[in-house]
Amino acid sequence: MNNRAKIISLAVVAAFAILVLRLFYIQVIDSSYKYDAQNNVLRREVQHPPRGEVYDRNGELLVRSIASYDLMAIPRDVKEFDTLTLARIAGVTPEKLKQELAKAANYSRRRPSVIVKQMSLESKLLFDEGDFSGFYTVYRTMRSYPRKIAGNLLGYISEVDAATIERDDYYQTGDYRGMSGIELTYEDVLRGEKGISVSVVDVHGITKGPYMDGAADIRAVPGKAITTSLDARLQELGEELMEGKVGSIIAIEPSTGEILVMVSSPGYDPDELVGRDRGNNYMKLLGNPRRPLFNRGVMSRYPPGSTFKVVNGLMALQEGSVTGNQKYPCHGGYTVGRGLKCHNHFSPVNMRQAVQTSCNTYFCYVFRDFIDNQKFGDPKQALDVWNEYLYSFGFGRSLDSDLSGELSGYVPTREYYDKAYHKRWNSLTILSLSIGQGELGCTPLQMANLATIIANRGYYYTPHIVKRIEGRDSIDSRFYERHRTMVESRHFDVIVDGMYDAVHKTGGTGWRAYVPGLDICGKTGTAENPHGADHSTFMCFAPKDDPKIAVSVYVEHGGFGGSVAAPIASLIIEQYLTDTITRPEMVDAVKQTTIPYPYYDRQK
Amino acid sequence: MTGKSNKTAESGLDWVSVAIFFGLMIIGWLNIYAAVFDESATGGFTFSSRYGSQLVWIGICTLAAIVIMLIDEIYYHVLAYPIYFLMLLVLLVTLAVGTTVNGAQSWLRIGGFSVQPAEFAKFATALALARYMSSYSFSMSDWKSKLAAAAIFGVPMVIILLQNDAGSAIVFASFLVVFYREGFNGWFYVAAGMLVFLFVFSFIWTPTVLLAAIIVICTAIEGIMNGGWKRNIRYLAAVGFVSATICLAASLISGRVLDYYWFLLGSALASLAAVGIYAWRTTLYNIFISIGMLVGSIAFTGMVDAVFAHMKLHQQKRILNLLGVESDPQFWGYNVNQSKIAIGSGGFFGKGYLQGTQTKYDFVPEQSTDFIFCTVGEEWGFVGSVIVLGLFCWLILRLIRMGERQQEAFGRVYCYGVAAIFLFHVLVNVGMTIGIMPVIGIPLPLFSYGGSSLLAFTLLFFVAVKLDSHGREGIARSRNLQ
Repeated sequence: MNNRAKIISLAVVAAFAILVLRLFYIQVIDSSYKYDAQNNVLRREVQHPPRGEVYDRNGELLVRSIASYDLMAIPRDVKEFDTLTLARIAGVTPEKLKQELAKAANYSRRRPSVIVKQMSLESKLLFDEGDFSGFYTVYRTMRSYPRKIAGNLLGYISEVDAATIERDDYYQTGDYRGMSGIELTYEDVLRGEKGISVSVVDVHGITKGPYMDGAADIRAVPGKAITTSLDARLQELGEELMEGKVGSIIAIEPSTGEILVMVSSPGYDPDELVGRDRGNNYMKLLGNPRRPLFNRGVMSRYPPGSTFKVVNGLMALQEGSVTGNQKYPCHGGYTVGRGLKCHNHFSPVNMRQAVQTSCNTYFCYVFRDFIDNQKFGDPKQALDVWNEYLYSFGFGRSLDSDLSGELSGYVPTREYYDKAYHKRWNSLTILSLSIGQGELGCTPLQMANLATIIANRGYYYTPHIVKRIEGRDSIDSRFYERHRTMVESRHFDVIVDGMYDAVHKTGGTGWRAYVPGLDICGKTGTAENPHGADHSTFMCFAPKDDPKIAVSVYVEHGGFGGSVAAPIASLIIEQYLTDTITRPEMVDAVKQTTIPYPYYDRQK
Repeated sequence: MTGKSNKTAESGLDWVSVAIFFGLMIIGWLNIYAAVFDESATGGFTFSSRYGSQLVWIGICTLAAIVIMLIDEIYYHVLAYPIYFLMLLVLLVTLAVGTTVNGAQSWLRIGGFSVQPAEFAKFATALALARYMSSYSFSMSDWKSKLAAAAIFGVPMVIILLQNDAGSAIVFASFLVVFYREGFNGWFYVAAGMLVFLFVFSFIWTPTVLLAAIIVICTAIEGIMNGGWKRNIRYLAAVGFVSATICLAASLISGRVLDYYWFLLGSALASLAAVGIYAWRTTLYNIFISIGMLVGSIAFTGMVDAVFAHMKLHQQKRILNLLGVESDPQFWGYNVNQSKIAIGSGGFFGKGYLQGTQTKYDFVPEQSTDFIFCTVGEEWGFVGSVIVLGLFCWLILRLIRMGERQQEAFGRVYCYGVAAIFLFHVLVNVGMTIGIMPVIGIPLPLFSYGGSSLLAFTLLFFVAVKLDSHGREGIARSRNLQ
């Protein structure tokens, strides 16, 4: 072969070799083209599931999900369109529409933005008939509340903020998320699982059909329905009774720890936090000095007051520092040290009578006998034991319920007093603890839990609002665990008898809670506080044997515990146990009781 | 020739090459079908679709091939010039009354058909060139001969360029391969390589760096030719030192920073006088080659800049994009980018026939014409691409061999011409789709949709086969006589 022919042939082979090497690089080595190819042809659309609904214990619908559609736009793809028609369909002014579109284009021309939120299904169907290139609708769940109760217990949902999107991959701009209450606690149950539909598009963005015949799609899983332990009718009654008053009612089923009622007053109509007026209404509620968004049942801390006396009595009985028959005289108060006043009642009293009459003096003796008991060594060690008892009753720590924002309350420790009194303190220094005053702080839920413990004679289940989750056999295992207190069952009888007498006998402080035949056992409390008049509290359960309901009522600045709180509690119990109200005049009287709150309203 | 290829010699026809040719044509058609394939389309096969009309063209080409084989080879020799001049006339007519497609006035409407005369001009030019270069009066050492030969492919090239069809025009440069085979000076190709280097780096480097590189290269060539490195290094140091000193001094006097380029250029050109005197005295006359290269290179880079400045924006962008200086996937780089995505996503084994998402959903522009190779790359993968390229390479090597076994220069020049045109088309087209060649709109032979191109390549190829079969018939005949 000619020499030059050889050179040419070699050059030809070399040139083809370069092409082959280059092909090998882009087809086999460099994988980036494969991702680019997918991005070119596959369009992934998120399918939003409907949010789970919420029911009460009897199957009544509390929170309903209704379909709503957000109008989205990708400014880059928006072609000429009829502004007037689209504005009419979406229910906004053409100016507003243009403004939102300009805002969206300003944010990003390639990424979708929400143009109009929460359109109705009718609007969506009208939109679908029109030809609005670059616009599309996204399904969202809107909430509606058929019973309009328990706003701050159920909580609300709201669009996720940038920080949440950053933190949690699940959420994208425009998604809704539970922000408080049950909506927040059970967010991952209620929200369901988003799906993805993958479709193939051509270069013009026109869908050519599902990718792999839909095999690559992930179907959206609707949110699970939650059945709460709440009794809607009881809740409604509770909210009515608390009108004009600030405070809370909590009722628990002692045998399970299920919360039957959780009223936080003032409340609000949960429908106010839905829809286009949501923003304004939210700001209004936020600005209300009585703080309606706040679930007082778990988010406030009160001095427990006299209801707490039974705890001191129980632990003293357990430790043997007092017996049920031990009597102490009371003539207007306890006189050692700075002393503690008491109201007028018969004397002397034993444990049962002291509970019945809520005798301060008696519990001063009991408390000091406990703290100064030689068997603990010194008062500081005795206080450590006292702390342990309180912890076993669920005080001083969060009960770990399923309610969002639950506080732990406060139980003073020896470290606290060592610091406050430079280590120079004794049983007299901390005497106010004997009657549930002083540094003690409890949530109403903890007080209701105390009522449960007494009803159960010594144990409780962690209070919870969830009863059943759709598709699951059981709720969280922690709600099945029985928590025993450090006090044995046998010591409870004398306290229960005292609480029975407080309602049933003359000279009992809780006589207003008496309902014939219901065997209500109760303990009043009148909690002194630095903000104004005493808080009125009442803790009770019924029936005495085989209790079905335990209730704690806390009315801020309501005065004597027997006057406001006790009737409310008894009405709740009566309604729950007998399904009737035999004392309508009492309902009216309670409803008409309006308590002034200068402490709150001054802040305006 | 070797004994191996004589197996088919009895028939006279190179059946292997014919098989490769039709194999490529069929594979090409399958890919056009895939490129226009649309699952959602109803109605099935139709002749009005691209794959339908391409099938009609394949039929026409097959007939044409048979006709070519039946015509006595002497006519191609005899008719070479008439065909060539007729073709020039048609090109001129096209230039006058042609239809404009994609900015190029290169189409002629005849009845219901549109033909692109430029495609057939390659065939006519190859014939005419073969005729001329095989004539007794032709000699590679004769300047007149060389100029006349260059004019044979230069004239249609210019006319096609005037039609604003730069892609088709550049193809005629592939006849330079034929020139090389026929004994054209190898230095020409070295110089051409230098020009390509200067062209490419005039866009990548700053003028000063490029100038310095030219000076160093020319000095180095002088060093290679005459030996003696020390004086070359001394020369470079002197030019650098003088130019830098003057630049610094001038900057200080004028009070502003002056462009070093002009001082380096001035010093280099001024030094040439001294270098010329040195060459004269030492009788090292080949130093003048270096001097000529230096001046030529500087002139060439200046010309490149001037031409570039007068180019249309899209042409500038394409050049810059090709050289990797600028890249904007949404605009000028879009075609190439999408094409690379399609081919790259094919992977090793490809996505399978009719399964290519990029080509099927129109992400690649011009996918049944200039970018048809994307379908090959995406659906058949690296394996399929290599097979197709391998077939092309084989076909071209066989054409070269056909040329080599011709007994007369006419057949050899013609076969080389055909091989060069195939080579140029395949390299540029495939290179373009994978981003190593500029985006020049020329078809992939036997693959790209279009009757003109298919028929033109059929003509080119089968005339070569016919010439080859005649030659071998002769061999066979003489062997039988013995």
